[in-house]
Amino acid sequence: MTAPAISFRVPPRPSRVVVQIASIAVGILLVAAFWNLGIAWEKLATLPSRLGHYGALMFADPNWSKLPEALYQTWRSVAMAWVGALLGVVVSTVLGIPAAAGVGPWWLRLPLRGLFAVLRAIPEIIIAIIILTVTGLTPFTGALALAIGGIGTHGKWTYETIESVSHGTAEAVKACGGNVLEVARWGLWTVASPELMSLALYRFEINVRTSAILGLIGVGGIGDMLTGYTQYRQWDTVGVLIIVVIVITMSIDAISGAIRRRIMEGATVRDVDRSV
Amino acid sequence: MSAAELSLPPRPRVWPRIAVIAGVVAVITVLTTLPTLGGVDIDLHAIARNWGNGAERIAKLFHPDFSILPRTWKPLLETLEMALIGTGIAAALAVPLTLWAARPSNPLVGSRRVVRLVLNVVRAVPDLVYATILVAMIGVGTLPGIITLVLFDLGIVVKLVSEAVDSADASYMEAGRAAGGTQAQINRLTTLPQIWPMFGSQVLYSLELNVRVSAILGIVGAGGLGRLIDEVRGFYRYDALGTIILEILVVVIVIEVISNALRKRLR
Repeated sequence: MTAPAISFRVPPRPSRVVVQIASIAVGILLVAAFWNLGIAWEKLATLPSRLGHYGALMFADPNWSKLPEALYQTWRSVAMAWVGALLGVVVSTVLGIPAAAGVGPWWLRLPLRGLFAVLRAIPEIIIAIIILTVTGLTPFTGALALAIGGIGTHGKWTYETIESVSHGTAEAVKACGGNVLEVARWGLWTVASPELMSLALYRFEINVRTSAILGLIGVGGIGDMLTGYTQYRQWDTVGVLIIVVIVITMSIDAISGAIRRRIMEGATVRDVDRSV
Repeated sequence: MSAAELSLPPRPRVWPRIAVIAGVVAVITVLTTLPTLGGVDIDLHAIARNWGNGAERIAKLFHPDFSILPRTWKPLLETLEMALIGTGIAAALAVPLTLWAARPSNPLVGSRRVVRLVLNVVRAVPDLVYATILVAMIGVGTLPGIITLVLFDLGIVVKLVSEAVDSADASYMEAGRAAGGTQAQINRLTTLPQIWPMFGSQVLYSLELNVRVSAILGIVGAGGLGRLIDEVRGFYRYDALGTIILEILVVVIVIEVISNALRKRLR
């Protein structure tokens, strides 16, 4: 018996024409954009020295006397983020569950999904500009803007989560004669709630970042201080503000990330060296 | 069948934990809504009182004044070009940084930690804060806007893709190592082909975000549509603002549809 001859030839390369055409098209688009935009590249050459210069102004001798005020304003930003997340999550859960396929009827699902898409497209700061005509320049405006802006993405996450969970329990409830509300409560909520909780916490993290910039239009918080001191070029104070923003954002992300992992993976799983 | 088998299992006692969680949420909510502590003053009276003058402006928003459209083309093009260039530069920088930040492609713990720490800090600063400070440093224009977008994108793309590399199938890389490849060869021939689809999909997603972000960067002087938004807001031209919002909406939705279609093909 002779062994069948094994061919050691390399298989033919798959055709890459489409990829090549696409990369050339993207390249042409990029070059055209560069050409057309007329960027002031000469400024880029001075950037490293400027970064060094302003970096020294900001961080060599930060004006720590502004720290208490910075912390107070950050607290206002975080408060805005929390209230915005709470309001946004409650509304998006109520609207997102019926928007999931298999839960709500199509005439309810389509308009809800359209609403989420529209809200997703509008930046939070523009929503805040619109709302402040009603509520004025207060943190409440910021919280409302975060809540309404958040419904766009969070509603989408909610219905996508519910569509992706296992539908066995929901079918069981349906088989026992449960109505739409009972299916949602006992069939879907029980299965989807850990992931929904984790997403709600994530919404808070995102809101903390966004609330830091809403102050740009004057609704209060750390963004207010940042624009003010940047405009007056008090760089030693700006340095303190940046340090505060970075430290607070990273700590909130770390805490909320730990809680989210606990929600998703249960209590027994310890953090397995993720930081490395 | 014995009777014992048919009895229901005991109900799990979950209510104490739910009570604790609800309590913590309630306490934080109360703390964040107390005006005396600097919290959010939920002022429903203000809404009831000012509804009239707000409704008038919102009504104007819903009656867009299309005569401003010719003035928006140039800033809109600028916004799109900024988004494209920012994504392009970020994508080019993200490839080496991703390999640098992931465990299988960079066995050196020290340099990996440095890259990750720097990117965590970069991600912690909000986009408009970069723009504000860069505008103050190098002056108004599209350059601070583009730098902002690049920083913003790097933070997202490198984090997500390097986490994917961490959890990717390591057997190809082991094969490369067994065949005696250097780390650079392993990365080039086994890691990169595995992450291209993921990478492409993340870059498309960041292009989407960039269009949204660059539309407002101009509010602080970093070029694009934002400058026009700030201008019409200053003149209380809410009908013109309505037009601009509508325009952003159309552009964002078109880009979202295209990038969703492309991303489906990447998978």
